[in-house]
Amino acid sequence: MTARRRNIQVVAALAAACALPLAVTNPGHQNFLILILMFAQVGVAWNILGGYAGQVSLGHAAFFGIGAYTSTVLLTHAGLTPWIGMLVGGLVASAFAVLIGWPCFRLKGHYFSMATIAVAEIMQVMFTNWEGVGGAVGLYVPLKDQGWEAMVFNTSKLPYYYIALGLLVATLAANWAIEKSFLGYYFRAIKDEPEAARSLGISLTRYKLVAIAISSFFTALGGSFYAQKELFIDPGSVLTTALSIKMALVTILGGVGSLFGPVVGSLLLTGIEEVTRQVFGGSGQGTDLILYALIIIGVAVFYPTGIMGWLKQRRFLVAEVKK
Amino acid sequence: MLNKLRAVALLAAVLIMGLTLSGNVLAENEIKIGAIYPLTGAAASTGLEMKNALELAVEIINNETKGLNLPLAATAGLPNLKNAKIKLIFADHQGNPQVGATEAERLITQEKVVAIIGAYFSNVTATASQVAERYGIPFMNPESSSATLTQRGFKWFFRTTPHDDLFVHNFFDFLKAVEQKKGVKPKRIARMNENTLWGTETTKLEDKLAKERGYNIVEKITYPAKSTQLTSEVQRLKASNADLIMQSSYLGDAILAMKTYKEQGFTPEAILANNAGFNDSEFLKTLGKDGNFILSREVWALDLTSRNPLIKQVNDLYSQKYKVNFNGNSARSFTGLFVLADAINRAKSTEPEAIRKALSETNVPGNQLIMPWGGVKFDAAGQNTLGSGIIVQVQDGKYVTVWPFELASKDIIWPMPGWDKR
Repeated sequence: MTARRRNIQVVAALAAACALPLAVTNPGHQNFLILILMFAQVGVAWNILGGYAGQVSLGHAAFFGIGAYTSTVLLTHAGLTPWIGMLVGGLVASAFAVLIGWPCFRLKGHYFSMATIAVAEIMQVMFTNWEGVGGAVGLYVPLKDQGWEAMVFNTSKLPYYYIALGLLVATLAANWAIEKSFLGYYFRAIKDEPEAARSLGISLTRYKLVAIAISSFFTALGGSFYAQKELFIDPGSVLTTALSIKMALVTILGGVGSLFGPVVGSLLLTGIEEVTRQVFGGSGQGTDLILYALIIIGVAVFYPTGIMGWLKQRRFLVAEVKK
Repeated sequence: MLNKLRAVALLAAVLIMGLTLSGNVLAENEIKIGAIYPLTGAAASTGLEMKNALELAVEIINNETKGLNLPLAATAGLPNLKNAKIKLIFADHQGNPQVGATEAERLITQEKVVAIIGAYFSNVTATASQVAERYGIPFMNPESSSATLTQRGFKWFFRTTPHDDLFVHNFFDFLKAVEQKKGVKPKRIARMNENTLWGTETTKLEDKLAKERGYNIVEKITYPAKSTQLTSEVQRLKASNADLIMQSSYLGDAILAMKTYKEQGFTPEAILANNAGFNDSEFLKTLGKDGNFILSREVWALDLTSRNPLIKQVNDLYSQKYKVNFNGNSARSFTGLFVLADAINRAKSTEPEAIRKALSETNVPGNQLIMPWGGVKFDAAGQNTLGSGIIVQVQDGKYVTVWPFELASKDIIWPMPGWDKR
């Protein structure tokens, strides 16, 4: 596939994404699309550290939560617009990530993953007991201020859709830039051949820290967006381990270390989740979760490299046959 | 390329399925109410009990049920709306606030429900009711007790259950009542609360109210809920010579505290607990006789049936059908749906604004409820002002109602006997 063809495809996909809500007018359906974009965005952010640099974090909810809490606290206590609060949240998350990354990156592989779980759990306990940020009761984003400055929109879903799309595009663009720059090569070297990378003079810890800083920055943006969308946050919703796992899952299902993998993964995962819950969830039999789990197991067994990995493999095989 | 197309088609199919799902067939003369509850996950069993209670309520409303002093029982459906039937559309929020909001939005925009009832978890109620508020759809909350929910200035939010602040007020009302009836007044109160949000919030309010109402708190202990030993805490309690312990504990620490009291031979005149661990079914299973005589706050108790024939009738219907008795949660869900249905009937319309107005004018007398409340009447914030808790005491291994006195099935035992005299 030539670069030009790929560019055309990307532009076409973006145009389609922009036009989609014009065709889909039911707010419930639009909400579904927003969820897809939201989880795609955090998946893409996770992918920078987990996919490219190969450091599987199961504690990204900590960064998501920091983003959500920072923008919300700044909004409710200082009246700062969430647009700025979001960026501050991203920076705070990056700083925090570097701080915890320093000791955690002394651990390798599974031990690193376990350490990240611990960090996220500690954050959840801390925020649950921290009165200043609402403790276990959580924080409300006031409903009365509406419009673009407050990033609160009453019943219209369109602005949320475009903000989520914008965030996703920005995160993808950052990923793409990393992929093309020396950072992308460094990250992949760290992932595949850490010893070789080190022997070539790449500081493993420094570039792992760069990866986690960028990754946590974008994850935190997603957290701020979540707070503005749901207008309520508490440790149980933005700092929960289930969220960390979901970020990893959309990426793993879609394709680890591929640019659009998390987008495909989110489309699939959010789609299955919402559809099965809507059809079977009301019965109270748990059928939806059984189906959901079966599909995930199915994908993991039959497409271990994720949907994107499978596509790449197919394309390669087809090309081989044509030769 | 072909395979790629196939994959794209598959993904598109999933997407389209998600988009086209909606309950579009609306049977004539049916009123749809959305019900958002935790039907899977850690609270699934509680969620299913509440679902059953709601379904029983709908059955009583939709059919002619004679001999029950409940609004709408004797008629089939809602008489003011040409006997329209209530139809519940259940949604599972999985204990996740984001899923709760998503489901609320779906119920409103796709299922076109006229009102929503739910959601048990305070944090899910928070997000789901935000959605209802945005769309201008009445949200009935029968079970969530976080006080902040009715401090948001919402117009479309109504809560029938008393909240946590009211429960703490109940403690002091209870102490006053005991003083008047039995002439005992605790002179030295110690409080023993766990240190997460619930415990600390309770602590603050207890300290404030004790001061206002002239009680002397001699020892204030907050301890980490996951403590594995409470020896030094209990020693402090013992040294304080307190005659009443006010305690907020979860299950593990409640049991541990009771065991330590016994070990150290600490016998205050009374232990007044704040529900939670002290009312868990494991509490008495583990402690057996040692769990006797504790006092705890509750919203509902089975022995209320002995004083109120309506509660017995409804509980019989429920236990025949589902083989379990009502409890505080299912009884509150049941009540919430009746209040909502009553309002829709009085509104004579399914317009949201008409229902909201009718809800704000709600005035259900206490004798038409299966709750130990004075009735249901909402204030401007949507909080029921006539709700209250009850105090139960464990006597002979059973929780019996001892306050309010007019609902009590047994007399209160105060002071409690020493550990060796049981």
